[in-house]
Amino acid sequence: MLLVFGLPLGFSLYLSAEGWSPDETLFGGRYAGLANYAALLTDPDFISSLILTLGYTAITVTAELLLGLGVALLLDLELPLIAFFRTTLIVPMMMTPIVAALCWKLLLDPDHGIVDYFIGHPIIWLGRPWPALISVGFVSVWQNAPFVCILTLAGLRSLPNEPREAAAIDGASVLQTFWHVTLPLLRPYLLVALLLRVIFEFRAFDNVYVMTGGGPANFTLLLSMYTYQASFVQFDLSLGAAASWVMLLIALIACLGFVALIGRRETR
Amino acid sequence: MMARRRSHRRNRLVRAVVAYTALIALLGFFLFPLLWILGLSFKTRLQTFASPPLFIWTPTLHNYVAVLGTGAFQHAFMNSLLISAEAVLLSICVGVPAAYAFARFPFAGRGLLFMSLLVMRMLPPIAVLVPMYVLFSKLGLTETRVSVVLAYTTFSLPLVVWIMRGFFEELPRELEESAWVDGASRYAAFRFVVLPLVRPGLVAASILCLLLAWNDFIFAAVLTNDATRTLPVLMASYSGDVGVDWGSMTASCVLVVLPVLLFSFVAQRHLVAGLSSGAVKG
Repeated sequence: MLLVFGLPLGFSLYLSAEGWSPDETLFGGRYAGLANYAALLTDPDFISSLILTLGYTAITVTAELLLGLGVALLLDLELPLIAFFRTTLIVPMMMTPIVAALCWKLLLDPDHGIVDYFIGHPIIWLGRPWPALISVGFVSVWQNAPFVCILTLAGLRSLPNEPREAAAIDGASVLQTFWHVTLPLLRPYLLVALLLRVIFEFRAFDNVYVMTGGGPANFTLLLSMYTYQASFVQFDLSLGAAASWVMLLIALIACLGFVALIGRRETR
Repeated sequence: MMARRRSHRRNRLVRAVVAYTALIALLGFFLFPLLWILGLSFKTRLQTFASPPLFIWTPTLHNYVAVLGTGAFQHAFMNSLLISAEAVLLSICVGVPAAYAFARFPFAGRGLLFMSLLVMRMLPPIAVLVPMYVLFSKLGLTETRVSVVLAYTTFSLPLVVWIMRGFFEELPRELEESAWVDGASRYAAFRFVVLPLVRPGLVAASILCLLLAWNDFIFAAVLTNDATRTLPVLMASYSGDVGVDWGSMTASCVLVVLPVLLFSFVAQRHLVAGLSSGAVKG
């Protein structure tokens, strides 16, 4: 296990500190110290990509949590046919992300897309900076809110009923019960969903790749896309490895938060 | 008293109406886009580009016949199938014994090793992909399916260990111990007593590995070539020429997603159990 992961990671650290090109032997590169990192941190594209990714992650995850929680609360009601809704509403989550993005590219097409037909006039969604970014984020929310929904629904259904009933008997309104009783009880589930989604949105790639390719003018160039282009389009693998390590360190912070959370529960 | 009960009942009715309205709106939000794509896949070129869009038409199977007849699609489908199956098999064969060890043998550094396994699963794939690509290409593996299978295994292995450990731990030790007393070897007890009891876990873990491998794009995009490319890579190569052939594009979309959807509907109970045990209960 350590070999499978540790080896590539160690090699990546080595790569990031080398001037290396693919036609050389594995260890044939010249030691370049922190030059690759310096190049990275002075690249305005990288800096804007970093800021963009953090903002994108924050906003999509917030939207996913709110929507997912809302849907979960609805699906928790005991109504006839609710099982049907529970099964069908999570379909987007199962879809291959590439296919989902491709479908939305067709739906958002300015000439023949159904979205613009409903709006009534053609909008060029993917060709202009802000609409493109919003579309890319929207597809991710559409696809992943069901995941948050599943996790919180599982949480809701495992909660004891008594506190909520007691609150209702004491005269609390539906909103008060939700805010002061249900939400605190749900907190561990929401935290898990939050961290998992942060980890996954931070690496967002498929939707950007298919829908905009990072454009227009790098406006949707998220970090994964930046690293991909550096490594496999410009074939500057050393720069790519350096960018990878910056991503790794940021992801690690989120991971450690997650591990701390799980660890605390384990010891209980 | 009567009036109060009546108003209570009216309240419940109002709530149900509000809930159903919201649910149906959500159904539209989450499903209409997919249904529309499904519809497009049954339209001719003329019907697809009709203005205003057609909501009622005579469906045609033409697009499906065309897609299923192309060599590129058949080839990518077989690749996806083989790679996913191999990745699942490998992850289960390695991951299940590892999970059993985590659950039963108290070895030094167990907690730390387990947590680092978890962290590995969470790292961004692109960050692991750069060095992986270099190493695999130097080993001459980028031309074969092996590289992608290994890449998927590294990411699904932690998942298998994570889910299965939970299932193994819930199993009372006495079951195995009584098998040993009856003269079964440690292996026999594992194979004939423990494994059948954790079957739901095995199913959940396999499905999640399968989803991971079938739906992945980024690893396949880098590690496969024309001969080994998988369905998502083929699909992404279409994205450059949107506007050309919507019929075959939508039909292929449906064909890529359908197996996974059918599969997860059939196994949904296991899937939800796996998702929540893997991510929540731990």
